[in-house]
Amino acid sequence: MNEAKPEQHDSETNLPHETNERRGFLGSAAGITAAVLGGLLGVGPLAIGLYATVMDPLRKKTTPQKAAGDAVGAKEGFYFVAQLGELDSHVPRRFTIMADKIDAWNFMKDQPIGSVYMRMQGEQVECFHTTCPHAGCAVSYELESQAYQCPCHNSSFNVDGSKLEGGRSSNPSPRGLDALEVYVQGTSVFVKYEDYFTGRHDKIAK
Amino acid sequence: MFRKLYSWFDSRTGIQASLEEALYENIPGGAKWRYVSGSMLVFAFMTQLITGLFLWMYYSPGSQNAWASVYYITFEMEGGNLLRGIHHVMAQAMVCLLPIHLLQVVIEKAYTKPREFNWWLGLVLMKITLALGLTGYLLPWDQQGYWATKVATELAALPPLIGGLTQKLIVGGSDYGHFTLTRFFALHAGVLPGLLIGFLVLHLAMFRKHGITAHSSPHRPDQLFWPMQVLKDGIACALLFAVVVFAAIAEPVELGPPAEPTEAFGAARPEWYFLFLFQMLKYFDGSLGFNTELVGAIVLPVVLIGFMFAMPLIARKKFGHHLNVTVIVMIISAVVYLTWEAKQEDNYYLNHPDDTQSEAYNRSKRFHEEVGRSEKEFELIQQLIKDYGIPLGGPTALQQRDPLTMGLRLFRRQCASCHAYSHDEYAVAGPPNPDARHDSPLNYGAPDLAHFGSVKWIQGLLSNDAATGIRSERYFGKTLHVSGEMAEHVHETMWASAETAADRQTLATQIEQVAWALSAEAQLPYLDYAANQEKIEAGIAHLNDDTLGCIECHNYGDNEDGYVIDLNGYASADWITKMISEPTQTGFYDGGSDNDRMPSFHTAATKLLTPREIELLVRFLREDRSLIDD
Repeated sequence: MNEAKPEQHDSETNLPHETNERRGFLGSAAGITAAVLGGLLGVGPLAIGLYATVMDPLRKKTTPQKAAGDAVGAKEGFYFVAQLGELDSHVPRRFTIMADKIDAWNFMKDQPIGSVYMRMQGEQVECFHTTCPHAGCAVSYELESQAYQCPCHNSSFNVDGSKLEGGRSSNPSPRGLDALEVYVQGTSVFVKYEDYFTGRHDKIAK
Repeated sequence: MFRKLYSWFDSRTGIQASLEEALYENIPGGAKWRYVSGSMLVFAFMTQLITGLFLWMYYSPGSQNAWASVYYITFEMEGGNLLRGIHHVMAQAMVCLLPIHLLQVVIEKAYTKPREFNWWLGLVLMKITLALGLTGYLLPWDQQGYWATKVATELAALPPLIGGLTQKLIVGGSDYGHFTLTRFFALHAGVLPGLLIGFLVLHLAMFRKHGITAHSSPHRPDQLFWPMQVLKDGIACALLFAVVVFAAIAEPVELGPPAEPTEAFGAARPEWYFLFLFQMLKYFDGSLGFNTELVGAIVLPVVLIGFMFAMPLIARKKFGHHLNVTVIVMIISAVVYLTWEAKQEDNYYLNHPDDTQSEAYNRSKRFHEEVGRSEKEFELIQQLIKDYGIPLGGPTALQQRDPLTMGLRLFRRQCASCHAYSHDEYAVAGPPNPDARHDSPLNYGAPDLAHFGSVKWIQGLLSNDAATGIRSERYFGKTLHVSGEMAEHVHETMWASAETAADRQTLATQIEQVAWALSAEAQLPYLDYAANQEKIEAGIAHLNDDTLGCIECHNYGDNEDGYVIDLNGYASADWITKMISEPTQTGFYDGGSDNDRMPSFHTAATKLLTPREIELLVRFLREDRSLIDD
């Protein structure tokens, strides 16, 4: 970009000191060169630092590497969560998803990486992410109200995951609970566990 | 001598001229108390800088270390609590001083020509200060900071297109972890204070260029900054410091239980000065058909800040200044109102104790229950640290080996939908409302498991008392067993045949002895069996002689004709493990015919609990607090 500049710089410094009078800041070639050089010197380290800080988290996935793991018959992206016999047909149960986890420089085997609520709906397994689609707090199923309640901004959801309407207080969630894809093999229930952007009307995977 | 030394020093450094330059600033109308707010803010920031540097010497970012190091600072380091306390209180003082300083500037019209740049620099300084508050809240890595900050970083993902990237950059990946802490710490202790110092220098330089915005008054002569204004500033700062130190001592700074990503904290709230933003989010409920959360969380705050930046320009118009004052007063009133409303909602249950059926009441009650639960968890981890120290794996590694911490969590999650646990210190509420499961033909609620297997518990089971006996809600009152053979035997056979007071006395004594004998099978760590050997032996004799009719149905010792609930090893670790794993197995509710809705928690077909979790629960129920080892 500024390959020509060093030459100018050389020629400028070879000139004799002709005068003491101050010219404008950028009035001489030396002034311009010094300003550009100074700018580059400041920007250089900053650019390298920013590059490393920005690119590292964007390139890497810190989410679990080994999806579904050892369970036989697991599909790509699915995690073994439960046996069919563990699901109730009315009350949703919370299940923890276990997988190997990497946190920066640490590798941890079999860690809880998230949780879901599941119940049987006829022959179908109904599965919801426990993260509230509003602002990312964790919802819990409350027996009294037979609804999912979020402890942060009053979002609430029916047992089928839809937004609970008609309550006295506001329900700021932009959508119902995020249903997750379920896949049953034999008696094993696998769930495609992924996170979604909160606060948006549409369910978009992160 | 001193004079000579000073003049030598001055001739080499020019200190005299610098001091004069700094201190002999003219103040039109003279020194005033109301000019102290700026100096107080500078002093507050200097305090944060200094206390922060010392905290840095003890703090260690990282998922395993952050909480542990803050725990050390707060509870073990000499003077650490005061150091962290001052940092914590002064941060809040800064946030309180900011709007005062800002309001003064607005009221005095000091934001208008030619001081536009100084106003803008001030707004930037305010943003940086708030960002320091936000980033600092996460650093202790406790449940409160973790879950509250999680909401904040979720909001960062709201803007379309760049939202996801922004969030990843702030969090340092897609999950909270080491990188979140290292980034927040670098921001909190490096980037933001650095920026603040830079902008503060510019802010002060601008201030010196334009001088104080004072209306000279014929009644009060001008004064120089030194000494009267410096004295007033000094007194104000000293008072501030005294108040902050007093507050830090009077109410020692707290720490929540360590962050646990899978144990959601149901009472997560931001620091009080962000509560208005938190509360505002409740209002943007998407009822207008588009994504209003983005409006509430980002667009509206940006518009308001944008307005504040535009204020010097607006003030040039006719009535512009009045508009500015009106809007600023409205913003501040809204902030105060929203903060108050957020507090009111959280405390609704305390302020309206009679409105038990309302949504607001229940929500607030749950909030306070969560606060209480978190305080309990903190007490537990504090005890654990006293007994064992914090292992390399961090505080959560210690919690995960503790039967009490984990037992309470597991009980709440897996057992409390049927069983209560009405322990004096560590109670867990049972099923909330008997009719909650609309498919249930009966009220439901299984026996209270506090002190299960103890002499008292067994005595209660064998009692016909309406409030505390076998048919009460504490035992079989809300199960199918209420009309089963066991309850019938206790009521219609045992107690019905004891007709006189003397008979009843004899029966009570026999029951006590049998209860000791059965409890001796459990060998609970909190009962003194050795001192009650006589009762135990008498009880064993009653059981073998079938005095109370137990072994007609239950196996005990040599009797092997029983068909339900084996009394050998009753309530022992092995017995409870089997009962939780598969209650329908032989020796329990054989074949399941007498089982009333108790699920199997660990069989080939169901693995609701892992063997490790069951072991934790078993120790919890037996009040055996020894840690389990991996």
